[in-house]
Parts: sequence; structure tokens; C-alpha cells
Amino acid sequence: MVLNIATHMDYEGQHLAEKLSHIIVVVFGVIGWIIGYVNQQFSQTIMVLGVGVLIAAIVTLPPWPMYRRKPLSWRKPRKEVTTDVSKPEKEVVVSASKPKKKNK
Amino acid sequence: MHTFLTRGNALLTFTLSVLAGLTFFCFLSTGLNAYSATATIDTVKVLVKNVPDYSAQKEKQDLGYLMFDLQANLNPLFNWNAKQLFVFLTAEYESPDNKLNQVVLWDKIIQRGENANLDMKNMNTNYYFWDDGNGLRGNPNVTLTLSWNVIPNAGMLSIVRGSGSHTFSFPNEYTNVRAQ
Repeated sequence: MVLNIATHMDYEGQHLAEKLSHIIVVVFGVIGWIIGYVNQQFSQTIMVLGVGVLIAAIVTLPPWPMYRRKPLSWRKPRKEVTTDVSKPEKEVVVSASKPKKKNK
Repeated sequence: MHTFLTRGNALLTFTLSVLAGLTFFCFLSTGLNAYSATATIDTVKVLVKNVPDYSAQKEKQDLGYLMFDLQANLNPLFNWNAKQLFVFLTAEYESPDNKLNQVVLWDKIIQRGENANLDMKNMNTNYYFWDDGNGLRGNPNVTLTLSWNVIPNAGMLSIVRGSGSHTFSFPNEYTNVRAQ
């Protein structure tokens, strides 16, 4: 399926993409407003804004390499995973992970 | 923002917000516009008849009939927030029954891009000039004015009365209805 193609960006890439798209759309909107005001045609404002949206879409929608430079470094998966629920160690692990969520 | 579709969604919603803001500033740039203009109105022919208005009742009522000339340059009213003008000619008079009567006799829609420099001769009214009684015959003081609505892309629907009016009087005798 088409939707299964990996289109994700890393966190910094997402931030950059959002910032870029906002800047492009706003700049084209302001330019379009000025053009429309000078020519007294609001339709020109909308068309310039539409051009800005197209450019923003091309720049920020696809997962370009510039948005994937800082991938998260995950720990490598352990080869043997022991899942013994009866061991008391497991509870210690669970309770230790709770404060981490609060810190986020 | 992590998939293609969420980024597309965010881009479109943000664009709509920006468009709303631009439209609002477009309204602000024209919000203080007075939209005033001058109209020159004259009557060519004025008659008054006494006939029944069968759509209302069988009693006879006064029916005014007039032809008019109209000159008004409304081109300066158009700006980037004015989509069309609705121009209408109103007759105002006082009758024994009513302190103020207002009758719309003629109207016209002028869209953006059309010629708004009106210069009309010997125009007939679009609508009947009915009085609700016998207030028209010999009425010495009937005033014609031109008004218009400015229909905007965004903002307030303004209604403006043009400067310049024409006052005329109806004749003292009824004109006989033809082919009675």
C-alpha cells in the first residue's frame, strides 16, 4: 500500500519542516496582499498565496534528506528476552520507569 | 508532523488561517470607505391614475407613472473589496395617511468590471408606484433619491444614499385609464 512507504522525519526535521512551511506561507501571503492591494484585485492575493502553498508543499511534505539527518539512536535489541513475571526484579524495573514519564 | 498526510493537513489548515487573516486585513483596508457619490436625477413625464390594484383589493388607489433621466458615475465606488453594487431609486413623500412613504421604483445590479457610469434617458420604472390610498394626486413634494448597497468580499454590507435628489409634484388631475 502507498501509505506504508516510510515518510517519517526525525524530531528536528519535523520542527524544521513546520517552521519552513509557516515562513513560506506567511511570506507569500504578505506579498500577495500587497500585490492585491496595489492592483485592487483580491483574487491575485489568493493566487499568490496558492503558489506559496504549492512551494511549501514541495519543500516540506516529502521526507527530504535534510529532515532526516538526526535520527534517534535506539539501543540495540537484546538477543535473549527473558519474561519471567514471578521474579521480583520485574517489579523494580516497572517502578523505576514511572518517574521517567513524569519527567517528560 | 511525522507522516506525509499529517504534514499536508497541518499545511492546509495553517493556509486557511492565513487566508482568513488576509481577508480580514482586506476588509480593514476598505472598512472606513464612505462609498459616496453624486446622482443627477430628473423626471421626464409624470402622470397619476386612479385604478384598482387587483393584487391587493378592489378599491381604487393612486398609481403614479413617471419616466426619469439618471446620471451617476459609480465607478469610483469599486475597490478590491467591492464585488457588486445594488443600485435603487427611491421615491419619498408624505401623504395624509402616512408621515413617510418610501417606494422603490427602479433598481439595477452592477457587477465588478461592468460599466458603472450610469447615463440613462427616458427610463421607465421597474416597479409600480402604488400609493396605499389617494396620496399621490396633486402631491407637491415627491423626492427621488438614488441609494446603493456595496456587496463586499468580506465585511459589512453598507447602504449609502447618494447626494443629489430631485423633487417633483404630481398633476392635480387623474389621467384617464386607456381602453376602459
